[in-house]
Amino acid sequence: MLQIEPIILYCLKQLDSERTIYSVYHLLNGKKSSQTIQDAHLYSLKKFFGIYESLTRESFEEIIQSLLKKKWIYPSREQRFLVTSLGKSVLTTHPLPYFMNGWKYHLFTSQVWERLSLFIQVTSNLVYQEARYVPIQKNKDVHKWLKAVLKEVQAPRKEVGSLVFFELVDCFNDATEIDPSLLVFRLTGFQQIGLTPMQAAQKLHMEIHDYHIGFIHTLHYLIQKINCQSNRFRILSLLFHDLQQDNELTHSSQKTWALLKQGYSLDMIATYRHLKLSTIEDHLVEFALNIDNFPIDDYVDKELQTKILEISRDSATRQLKIIREKLKTATYFQIRLVLAKYGGR
Amino acid sequence: MELESILEKHFGYHSFKTGQKEVISSILAGQHTLAMLPTGTGKSLCYQLPGYVLKGQILIISPLLSLMQDQVEQFKRFGEKRIIALNSFLSVAERNSALRQLSSYKYIFISPEMLQIPFIISRIQEMTISLFVVDEAHCISQWGYDFRPDYSKLGEIRKKLGNPLTLALTATATSKVREDIIASLGLEEMIKVESTIDRPNIAYYVEQITDYHDKQNRVIDLVSWLQKPGIIYFSSKKAAEQMASLLVEKEICQAMAYHGGLDQTSRILIQQQFIYGQLDVICATSAFGMGVNKENIRFIIHFHMPMQIESYLQEIGRAGRDGLPSIAILLYSPGDEQLPIQLAEGELPSMQQIDWLFNRLADEQPLMDGRFKLNNHLKELGGFSEIQWRIIEDFVYSPQQQTSSSDYLQVTIKEFVKKRIAIKKSNIFRMKKWVESTSCRRESILDYFTEILSDKVPSCCDQCGLQLSEYKSNKKTPVLTAEEEKWKDYLAKILLNSGLTK
Repeated sequence: MLQIEPIILYCLKQLDSERTIYSVYHLLNGKKSSQTIQDAHLYSLKKFFGIYESLTRESFEEIIQSLLKKKWIYPSREQRFLVTSLGKSVLTTHPLPYFMNGWKYHLFTSQVWERLSLFIQVTSNLVYQEARYVPIQKNKDVHKWLKAVLKEVQAPRKEVGSLVFFELVDCFNDATEIDPSLLVFRLTGFQQIGLTPMQAAQKLHMEIHDYHIGFIHTLHYLIQKINCQSNRFRILSLLFHDLQQDNELTHSSQKTWALLKQGYSLDMIATYRHLKLSTIEDHLVEFALNIDNFPIDDYVDKELQTKILEISRDSATRQLKIIREKLKTATYFQIRLVLAKYGGR
Repeated sequence: MELESILEKHFGYHSFKTGQKEVISSILAGQHTLAMLPTGTGKSLCYQLPGYVLKGQILIISPLLSLMQDQVEQFKRFGEKRIIALNSFLSVAERNSALRQLSSYKYIFISPEMLQIPFIISRIQEMTISLFVVDEAHCISQWGYDFRPDYSKLGEIRKKLGNPLTLALTATATSKVREDIIASLGLEEMIKVESTIDRPNIAYYVEQITDYHDKQNRVIDLVSWLQKPGIIYFSSKKAAEQMASLLVEKEICQAMAYHGGLDQTSRILIQQQFIYGQLDVICATSAFGMGVNKENIRFIIHFHMPMQIESYLQEIGRAGRDGLPSIAILLYSPGDEQLPIQLAEGELPSMQQIDWLFNRLADEQPLMDGRFKLNNHLKELGGFSEIQWRIIEDFVYSPQQQTSSSDYLQVTIKEFVKKRIAIKKSNIFRMKKWVESTSCRRESILDYFTEILSDKVPSCCDQCGLQLSEYKSNKKTPVLTAEEEKWKDYLAKILLNSGLTK
């Protein structure tokens, strides 16, 4: 069974004490700061980005305490931890969630769930010819989506239920790594109301955090599976109708990107947008992470790039401070840019 | 067309519930009407139906967003599409598009805040409002337990709209509040349709309990043998949560807590689970109940005392909508009134907060026109809650206050707060007096609303010799079977209708 503790343990191992525990917290929360985004790339933790947006700081700290108590980690510096050999052996016996793909899916995971749950409720009531019921989703966009896709379904209304049933069963049958119960018991149908996350966790005898991780994992599995074989899952593919899927840049950095392409300098963009230069620099780091073939040579000359990478490799670190101390000619921005472009593990 | 046939055609009912027909006839005869109908008797129909007879548009002012959404949704389920709800849930784009095509809607629901916006008012002035409906009209009166300053301006707005035909609706209002409603709306007189607030099938039972711990045990005992489903009301989220887990742990019944701290989706799910019988008991704060139409609720237990008789009546009124015998039990321990007093005080800004705020405002630059600007950081620094801050904003931004000095404003707010607290405290003591009274519970509640009990019911109240055992369940609550339902079976159950061969 999936658990949150091994995931956090794995993150700490990847960070190797180069960042504080809160960078893991921000990662799971999906914080849209360039620091968090960069960490996700640098330490190969993209798949966990934004997988637990509702995790509170208190709960996170409790989990860290629990890891400490089990002697899976030990403190290295303030708010930084290293994984013990016991912890490392735990990681070998606990598989990481195979289908988790936070970076790619976090923007629309909850939207897909809202769509699925409303779609199932409406379909179920159609099957039972019931017109009066309270929709469990209030989000207006989801209702708009539903109206649009119901028109696209080619089958007679009463048969949609069995079509969806067979598609879902077909979709879940292939997977041994996931438990569909986590998702299915949350669904509402005709005169049968789905469980809340807390109730589902209790029913399945799971701890709430583990339940949440398992639920997201199941959704990510579903998203990936349907996306790959949209011909096989004709009805379920409708979940992605008009869904903005490939928006890896933050909204603000998209504006910067547009200006940059028009040939404006960083200073000019900062002035024009009334933003600090450091913010624009953050955006550039984002481009280096996300846009293939984004050229950084205008900002760091080739020679300096090579030096930064050498120092990072030799001292086995991605800590800016350490690199900067050894290479006074480089700015922090330049180091970040180079690490963002080439530094992912 | 006859009213009954309109009712049947648009709503599918064969007959009216108590009071509905009188209210509708009075409206259709062109008379301003104040309707006091108990909760759960279909007040909404009193403005919905006239819409199918009257020519112009129906404007409904509703104070609570969630209530408004419920009303709109329920109405839409009757097939009426010409409805718009103008409230803060709308995005600016949606609002503008709604205002542009305002004349295409028959029913316009609006929140009092929206009515303060001049642009919106002038748009509504262009319409022909054939009925001006004030829902939860007791909020107009400062004597009402739920006074809303925005609501006191409705008289003015009504005038701006050319004094349209008016319907004021409320479930509970004392005679003082009723007079206040009429005066605030700028009316000389209104036809009053008052159906009795008495619900003969709900019996009253007040029990004194020595302390908190005993209370918990008593609830567990009661719930174990009382006929279900039921609701237990609490004044605190934590107490509600605790009780729900106790009931589940001890395998007494299927129970869940419901309060404002839950996310919206969970709230909807829990409410619906209760309606469809997947839960026997809800441990709720007063956040639960509005828009919950469940006919067969058999008991309402109050773990804490409500803040006024009006709320108590509203909450117990959720029982026995099917007309079958139901029981309202209130558990009282000495000192229980402290919690509602704290809650009442917490809803208003304290004297210290007000003084602090005006000290800070004195340091800040006033706006060009001499008014103040309330920055949100002051709200946080001063530790104002959402509801406290709204009161401050109401005063500072009200048009009457624009010309007054800050000292005057400070005094006005403080006086307002003192008065509100005094009213709320006297309501709490009224409630406590009722709890401690040794006369018939039903009679004294009716007396509070200046009604006289005409028909004595056999199962009346603890003072009239009621035995709780009358409400004992004859079925044993089925022991929670840990049947292992497979996900595939569950999915098949909701998506495959095996009976669908016809």
